[in-house]
Amino acid sequence: MASQSGSGPMRVLVTGGSGLIGKAIEHVVMKDGEKREGEHWIFLSSKDANLMDLEQTRAVFEKHRPTHVIHLAAKVGGLYLHMRENLYFLRDNLRINDNVLQTAHAMGVTKVVSCLSSCIFPDKTTYPIDETMIHNGPPHESNYGYSHAKRMIDVQNRAYFGQYGHRYTAVIPTNVFGPHDNFNEDEGHVLTAIMNKTYKAKRDNTTLNVWGSGKPLRQFIFSMDIGRLMVWVLREYDEVNPIILSVGEEDEVSIQEAVEMIAEALEFKGQIHYDTSLSDGQLKKTANNAKLRRYLPDFTFTPLREGIKLTCDWFVKNYEHART
Amino acid sequence: MTSQSVSGPMRVLVTGGSGLIGKAIEQVVMKDGEKREGEQWIFLSSKDANLVDLEQTRAVFEKHRPTHVIHLAAKVGGLYLHMRENLYFLRDNLRINDNVLQTAHEMGVTKVVSCLSSCIFPDKTTYPIDETMIHNGPPHESNYGYSHAKRMIDVQNRAYFGQYGHRYTAVIPTNVFGPHDNFNEDEGHVLTAIMNKTYKAKRDNTTLNVWGSGKPLRQFIFSMDIGRLMVWVLREYDEVNPIILSVGEEDEVSIQEAVEMIAEALEFKGQIHYDTSMSDGQLKKTANNAKLTRYLPDFTFTPLREGIKLTCDWFVKNYDHART
Repeated sequence: MASQSGSGPMRVLVTGGSGLIGKAIEHVVMKDGEKREGEHWIFLSSKDANLMDLEQTRAVFEKHRPTHVIHLAAKVGGLYLHMRENLYFLRDNLRINDNVLQTAHAMGVTKVVSCLSSCIFPDKTTYPIDETMIHNGPPHESNYGYSHAKRMIDVQNRAYFGQYGHRYTAVIPTNVFGPHDNFNEDEGHVLTAIMNKTYKAKRDNTTLNVWGSGKPLRQFIFSMDIGRLMVWVLREYDEVNPIILSVGEEDEVSIQEAVEMIAEALEFKGQIHYDTSLSDGQLKKTANNAKLRRYLPDFTFTPLREGIKLTCDWFVKNYEHART
Repeated sequence: MTSQSVSGPMRVLVTGGSGLIGKAIEQVVMKDGEKREGEQWIFLSSKDANLVDLEQTRAVFEKHRPTHVIHLAAKVGGLYLHMRENLYFLRDNLRINDNVLQTAHEMGVTKVVSCLSSCIFPDKTTYPIDETMIHNGPPHESNYGYSHAKRMIDVQNRAYFGQYGHRYTAVIPTNVFGPHDNFNEDEGHVLTAIMNKTYKAKRDNTTLNVWGSGKPLRQFIFSMDIGRLMVWVLREYDEVNPIILSVGEEDEVSIQEAVEMIAEALEFKGQIHYDTSMSDGQLKKTANNAKLTRYLPDFTFTPLREGIKLTCDWFVKNYDHART
């Protein structure tokens, strides 16, 4: 696959730059040496522009004149908020995505990499899931508004390619975790919610209560790996069709194994109780990472134990301003 | 099912009122006696408002202050235009539909009935198709932009119901034909395209060339029947889930049978040639009208021969300004 030929160094605009994945890309680019000579990387947050507003979107594109865009910005929320407000998540995300993609087109941006989510896959499906299956059935009822808006990005990408030859594309991460994540016990991702609970259980000398049996299996991917992979996608991945970013099926772990790694990382030695009265969700929802493996056979993921340790260390150090 | 309880008579705004279905509703309401005491029915065309523009949409809603909306307006085109411009059909129709539904919500419209299309169903599917299957796979490649935008109406309807309790709904007609249709030989619907060809073949004393073998089976529904049914949907159908408007499977006819009815209606006595080198499309794409017959077991469809005769008579009489 040919790498992106740009005339001159890239000016990369990252929308949603202050979130979990945005911060990981920033770390990888600014601190880990991924940035190349002459490149500019601009990390936007909602303070810089409300992307629901076309004029503000245009203004921020005109200010920075990007050649490339990594589009991470979205209206997101916890499970209960989504269930109550599917209309807002649908309309707002459709609007943000249309503003960003159309403005990118209008301003001659070479490439846009958007971010889908494994939660948008069909609710009723066979496993493992792969990139070709996104539209094969309705998404889960709880966040269908968000899911349909995200799926539409894939349709828009194909349409921009068909109409103008733009190679706008998208990635589909599975369960990402890392520094700057949402650690809220009710709304955060499973690992970071448990890190928060474990931190408090240790601090308050109580039992760690984990929802569910601990048996479900998940593919977890450390945010820094996503950061490195997204920079690769931006530079090298030429397809318009999306690509799943995930560890392989062989690296699935049970929630219980992950909990034990978290307890070890935080040196929690108290009781761990699995509340089996609470729902497990799906036992297995394996995503197929064969496409990624075909492109990058030698890519080494951060071992889960290490990613958990780094995240827990960050959490303890930054507890005061972490999203809890 | 309870009928819609309104405080006072309805003011019904029909967007896309100058098209095939809009004209049929107008006939049924204004000439055939469906209009009730005190009701107002306003038929809009693109001359009255460009619904891609939010301000113009709001202005026309504020001018007419509807209590109900039948939303038929869309960017549509022939096969080849869709294939070339999926992006426009996607973006423009998403924008029109968002403008209409959101403006209806903001202005307290009681009910909106939108119009989907049987062409939006999954390309790979089992038959007969029913209303529950809309999102079960990607639509046909040729007009995926239009199809995704239309499918989104169903998602939006559910979201407006979940968020605000609005009973916005949609109908899914199968193959509609009638006066004011598109009779263009290349881009029109199959029956009306053949009516045009037959008219010319008779006039010019040439062979009537029909594309394909004539063997495919289709469910045709006369536009006046759709008109009557849509008025019923507006008044009586309370579900948010969409409803297929079609004759039953037992009333499927082959293209050849329909061609012979057209030839008879136009008194064409020349040669009819079936060009089997041209694609037939699908042999059968039966839509299940069980939901409709459950609600209206006694509804009588206009016999196809009669609908064809009425349409041919209209075409001959209005040839100079018909859409050819």
